[in-house]
Amino acid sequence: MAEPRDETSGTVSEPLDLVRLLLDEVVCVKLRGDRELKGRLHAYDSHCNLVLGDVEETIYVVDEEDEEDVKTISKKSEMLFVRGDSVVLISPQTVSF
Amino acid sequence: MLFFSFFKTLIDHEVTVELKNDIQIRGVLKSVDQYLNIKLDNIQVLEEIKYPHMSAVKNVFIRGSVVRYVHLPANAVDVPLLEDATRREAANQAGKGK
Amino acid sequence: MSFFGFDTSRHNPAATGFSQAHNPFAGLSNREDEGDALEFEDTYDGLGDQLDETGDAFNDDTFGDTTVFESKPVGKDFDFFNTTAKVANAIEEEHVRFTRQQPTARSSQTVPQAAAPAAFQHHAPGSSSYGHYSQLPPSKPARTGYEKYSSEPVAELQVDAALWGVAPKKQTQAAVPSASPAPMAAAPARKILSLEEVEAQMRAQAKKTSQQATPSPAPPVAAVPSGSQTQVPPMHYDQAYQFAQHGQPAQHADTTGHDQGAPAGHGHPITILQRPTSKPAASPQPPTQPAAHARQQPSGPIHPTQILQNPNRLSGDAARVGMHQQSPHGSYPGHPIHRQQGSFSQQPQIITHPSQLSQLNEEEKAAYLDQEAKRAKRNHKIFLMSRDNGIMTPQDKSFVTRIQLQQLVAATGNPNEHGTDESLTEDFYYQVHSQIQGSQRQNPNQPLNNFAQTYLYQTGSRQGGMRRHHRGPENHMQRMEQQVQRAVEAAKNKPKNKQLVIEGSLGKISFSNAKTPKPLLNIKRAENPTEAHRPSSAHRHIDHVGDRKSDLRSIESIYTTLMKMEDHDRVMPPPPANDADTEAIQTFVAWNSEAQILNNQLWESLRIHDHPDNGVVHPFIILLSYTKGMKAMQRVSRHLTHEQRTTILTLILVNLDSLDVVRGAQVTPDSPQPNAAMRENVELFIVAVMSTLFNILNELDLDLVAGMLGLVCSRNVDVIAKSRVGASMLTMILSRAEIIKHGGGGSEQAWHSWDVTHTQFFDLIEPSLPHTFPGPVTTSDDIYVWQLLAALGIGASPDQQQRLVLAVKDRVMDTVALSKTLPQDLAAQRLQNVNLFMRSIGLDVELLQ
Repeated sequence: MAEPRDETSGTVSEPLDLVRLLLDEVVCVKLRGDRELKGRLHAYDSHCNLVLGDVEETIYVVDEEDEEDVKTISKKSEMLFVRGDSVVLISPQTVSF
Repeated sequence: MLFFSFFKTLIDHEVTVELKNDIQIRGVLKSVDQYLNIKLDNIQVLEEIKYPHMSAVKNVFIRGSVVRYVHLPANAVDVPLLEDATRREAANQAGKGK
Repeated sequence: MSFFGFDTSRHNPAATGFSQAHNPFAGLSNREDEGDALEFEDTYDGLGDQLDETGDAFNDDTFGDTTVFESKPVGKDFDFFNTTAKVANAIEEEHVRFTRQQPTARSSQTVPQAAAPAAFQHHAPGSSSYGHYSQLPPSKPARTGYEKYSSEPVAELQVDAALWGVAPKKQTQAAVPSASPAPMAAAPARKILSLEEVEAQMRAQAKKTSQQATPSPAPPVAAVPSGSQTQVPPMHYDQAYQFAQHGQPAQHADTTGHDQGAPAGHGHPITILQRPTSKPAASPQPPTQPAAHARQQPSGPIHPTQILQNPNRLSGDAARVGMHQQSPHGSYPGHPIHRQQGSFSQQPQIITHPSQLSQLNEEEKAAYLDQEAKRAKRNHKIFLMSRDNGIMTPQDKSFVTRIQLQQLVAATGNPNEHGTDESLTEDFYYQVHSQIQGSQRQNPNQPLNNFAQTYLYQTGSRQGGMRRHHRGPENHMQRMEQQVQRAVEAAKNKPKNKQLVIEGSLGKISFSNAKTPKPLLNIKRAENPTEAHRPSSAHRHIDHVGDRKSDLRSIESIYTTLMKMEDHDRVMPPPPANDADTEAIQTFVAWNSEAQILNNQLWESLRIHDHPDNGVVHPFIILLSYTKGMKAMQRVSRHLTHEQRTTILTLILVNLDSLDVVRGAQVTPDSPQPNAAMRENVELFIVAVMSTLFNILNELDLDLVAGMLGLVCSRNVDVIAKSRVGASMLTMILSRAEIIKHGGGGSEQAWHSWDVTHTQFFDLIEPSLPHTFPGPVTTSDDIYVWQLLAALGIGASPDQQQRLVLAVKDRVMDTVALSKTLPQDLAAQRLQNVNLFMRSIGLDVELLQ
């Protein structure tokens, strides 16, 4: 395979440029409050505000009595705007067909 | 301004705003500003039993910073256009940075 | 000096008095000796002597037509400094505002009623002749004020004696009622006057005036030339405040006002205050006017003070309100004293006579002073606030409002400015979205239309996105179906497959004979390459994952270039009208060369001409395994030349079996369906890429189409045929050839090469045909297979047709059998799909039923 060409895409100089590569890709987003989202990234801005499509949200709830027991709650949403101040990290979801 | 621009197209659509205190409010998006403050009409609080104090309220102004999610009507979102708008926004930001 | 028992030496000269900011005559006042027994002559600044009392002839020039005064109350817009008129509105506003604030202030005063009764009893006798005194009781001295007062320096409520002008001295002369204090005392009242109160007072006043014949002295003084008024009004204002703070003058107003009548003429409050209405007032008493003049000259010192009492712009705002209420006593239209006295009477604990004060005990005095202090403070506050009144004219205000509105519009976007580059960069999504939605904002002249086109072109993916593009494939399928249908129809008109029709029903065919060695061999042949291919595909997959980031980067660079090109298209200059227009030509040439550069950039970023090593999938094909890579295709093809597009189609066909959506989405009747993600990718590929390729293919001539089919033959046809995308691609090529044939296109030689290729292809695909159906017969989504079969059948020789029937007869029979158990519409749908194929070989499912 040929080397990736950067002359047109520009070098990845900023972290958000990496996020741009994930546009229209399935991403995992970690949020404050023990929440995770998995969905297709449709939009982002410099505040890490996001719009995700076909999102699956996972909330990790620690059982109050038994702290070892972590329950998960799953929710789905067709199209979701996520406010950036909740976002902890955005990572690519490796898709295996 | 991307999301301000984006939300403007969703005015008069029904959305569900999930706040950072877990309250979910469904209502018709009436207006939005550059801080993504939101005004909703004809609201209805999900899990009303849990949050009875909102039951009498018919419209709300929500400060943008307390929003966690906004659940959107997918058919009101033009995904390819939104992605391109995001690319443009990113290019603009990069342009400003230089 | 300390008439009130103030220690005036303690008073704070630094405390802002009402007069400090405004009194242009303060200097004059300061000049005065502060001795206790100040003589009037000492206080008189002599301005009055300089008055030209004979210049009345020009009054009209100064004030406008004075005859209006005959018919109307005195106007509120005396233009002493040419500014009154400008601030008239402001004054009005200020007054309204003040009267609104009144109730609050008032209520706080009326709370402590306990303190008052004694004082009021006191006042009552003196006030009895004035009906308005009956209004006093509700407003009694505030006892609560004591504590506050005691905690505050007394000095604070004392205004510099100098600033008061003559006032302090007058106080010492309390016994000899001096003229000036009284009217001045009235001034403070105006601040505390509400409309209702004024009205009430007016009524009381009307009563009073009917009771007394008091104002006889008034007319004389009223005759004072108006010229003098113009010179000193500010003084009046200041002094009025000064007196207000003291409350002292009030006593004069009431006691001297009516008790002393004429004797107080030299400075009688009533006379003074009446002056503005001099003309109406004078008429009943013309003889007294000269006398008044005569008397006035000697009493000159008072004269300026009197003038100052004139209602003017400064006291006028309060007066103005009262004026509307004045009709009850027409004899004093616009007469200030009534208003002012009336309002004055509203004041809680106004000491109306010096003697009253002395009769008060210390506590009451203190309470009184406290009230005065409060009032003074309030007045001061109001004064401070009102200082800026009139700085802006209504025009200024509306100007500022317009600026603010403009800024708002700029922030939110003016619908009239849609389509400008600035608003586009900031508001791209909204603007283009509005365009696409065809909202009322649409304006045909907007450059945005280009954008709307760009995104409207992506019909399938736009409307569907990942989860909603069912309409997309439907449309595409319909087009495919139509093309096949047309081909079938065309084929039916040819008699070439008569023998099969004669052979009739499938039932008569001996299927046992159909299992010839050839298909079996073919199947073997097909299986081997499939197995051979798998390791390499696994290998490729690893590569693919490893370079995911660079793949994504390549795709994003394609988008970057695409957006540049789309922006560039928006600025396309009109082609030069003629050769003479060199400037237009230059612009056009420059634009073209820039477009060429961008085109090259795009072509580079597509990596079409990369030559990957053996076993590695071509980078362009890899791009098509990403959703956004597929989505880019439609837009990319719009910006490519015909040759470039053909190259892309060629490249895809050459690598057809390497495509993710072909290799990764193999379906056979026995295999499970591909996973959801792959199904989505297949859908997207059909919508986003196939339709583009379909368009490209439809531009091609027969020899190129034959070449394309030849390329496919060099690949693993079995893999291709067992995928929905691959089968659809084959259908596309085959039906395109039939369309060309039907249209009479293609040279003899081209047809010959097509026939050769077709035969070769048929042999390759035949063994795979029974296995191309997705899932068991119950699977309804198999139309694409029937389309492929139909496309094959049309161009097939009778022998090939027979082989086709043999290959899929089980599926045909099963489907027909199944359709009998299905609801009518579903059954019809299934049979219709089968018939697509049956008709292509001259048969019909009805023959089987």
